[in-house]
Amino acid sequence: MKITDKKVNGITVVSLEGSIDALTAPEISQYLNNLIAGGNIKLVADFSGIDYTSSAGLRVLLEAVKETRGKGGDLYLSGIQPDVEKVLTMSGFTSIIKVFSDSEEAVSNFS
Amino acid sequence: MALSKKRVALVIGSGGIKCAAAIGMWNVLKDEIAVDLIVGCSGGSVYSGCIARGATVEYMAEWSKEIWTADIMQGYTTNLKAARDGSLKFNESSGLVDDSYLNKALEKVAFDMTFADTNIPLKIIATDLMTGEKVILSEGKIKDAVRASSAIPMIFPPWEINGRLLIDGGVSDPLPIDVAIQEGADIIIAMGFSLSYRKRFRSMTAVQEQLNSIYMNNILNASFAFHNLAHHAEIFPILPEFDEPLSMFDVKKIPDIIAKGEEATSMHLPHIKRLLDSL
Repeated sequence: MKITDKKVNGITVVSLEGSIDALTAPEISQYLNNLIAGGNIKLVADFSGIDYTSSAGLRVLLEAVKETRGKGGDLYLSGIQPDVEKVLTMSGFTSIIKVFSDSEEAVSNFS
Repeated sequence: MALSKKRVALVIGSGGIKCAAAIGMWNVLKDEIAVDLIVGCSGGSVYSGCIARGATVEYMAEWSKEIWTADIMQGYTTNLKAARDGSLKFNESSGLVDDSYLNKALEKVAFDMTFADTNIPLKIIATDLMTGEKVILSEGKIKDAVRASSAIPMIFPPWEINGRLLIDGGVSDPLPIDVAIQEGADIIIAMGFSLSYRKRFRSMTAVQEQLNSIYMNNILNASFAFHNLAHHAEIFPILPEFDEPLSMFDVKKIPDIIAKGEEATSMHLPHIKRLLDSL
């Protein structure tokens, strides 16, 4: 799993590359928690590099969404690939998290 | 075979003829991982029963051609007409179909075997028609449990077990992952199917079918969403995709359906093995 982040117009865009499962979820959780603890509460998780996700990865995402919202921010998703979107939709995530086609659109939607 | 230090469960949900994809799933998994529990409901109960008692992939593929035929719907058209004009009295034990063909076909799932006879522990889900409660069947004859779990409401007569009138397990939960969670499964490989939506409606029955698909898909998603978040470890959702809508009796498409099951499972296998090897 490769994770990087950059600031775009005050929004933190986190780019993830690889697969999200029980083995990589802790690393993602740690990374996001560190960002949030550092005051980065407006996040875009760019999924364009994610080719696979299972349930463990979804729980990590939800944890970050709740944490950022609890602090007055939010987490948006962008660039989701079809196989991943299928799992996210079935899991109800696309109904509680805002999803955009790319990170630029996600960033511009942060008010 | 990879060692399994954690409990692994297979869950095969409802989906009619699509459930034959479970044959493909088993073909991919059987020599790769050790399975500690199988849970099945509705059409999934048929294949979960077969797999648990040790049926081969070849047997299941051949037998599938017997069950998914229009013969299981004997009497449907005549009885539907009679039910509508009132000449057929309908009550809680009724069905529109003469279930003798279905009952005979289901004999071949496990013959006279009981749950205690299986190679892999098995649980089959049905629904109590009178209370709506999910009923977990894990004792007695497998064929009775499968018959109950397969009892599509109004189509097949309910099946009585221990004084309870039981119908299709998919009505209470089309993908009963919670049973695997409750049994302590750490890794759950769950094969589920969403129902296709119609594009054309030429009868009231067609509208009823569409509504049924909407209800069932929403129940499937809501149930899956909750179980996903409630589970402590890993759920691998195996969701075969089909190029075109399938009718209940598309027997000629069974080889393709099995292939789709293999394809969908193969996508997850490296991740499953990686996780098992790391535990």
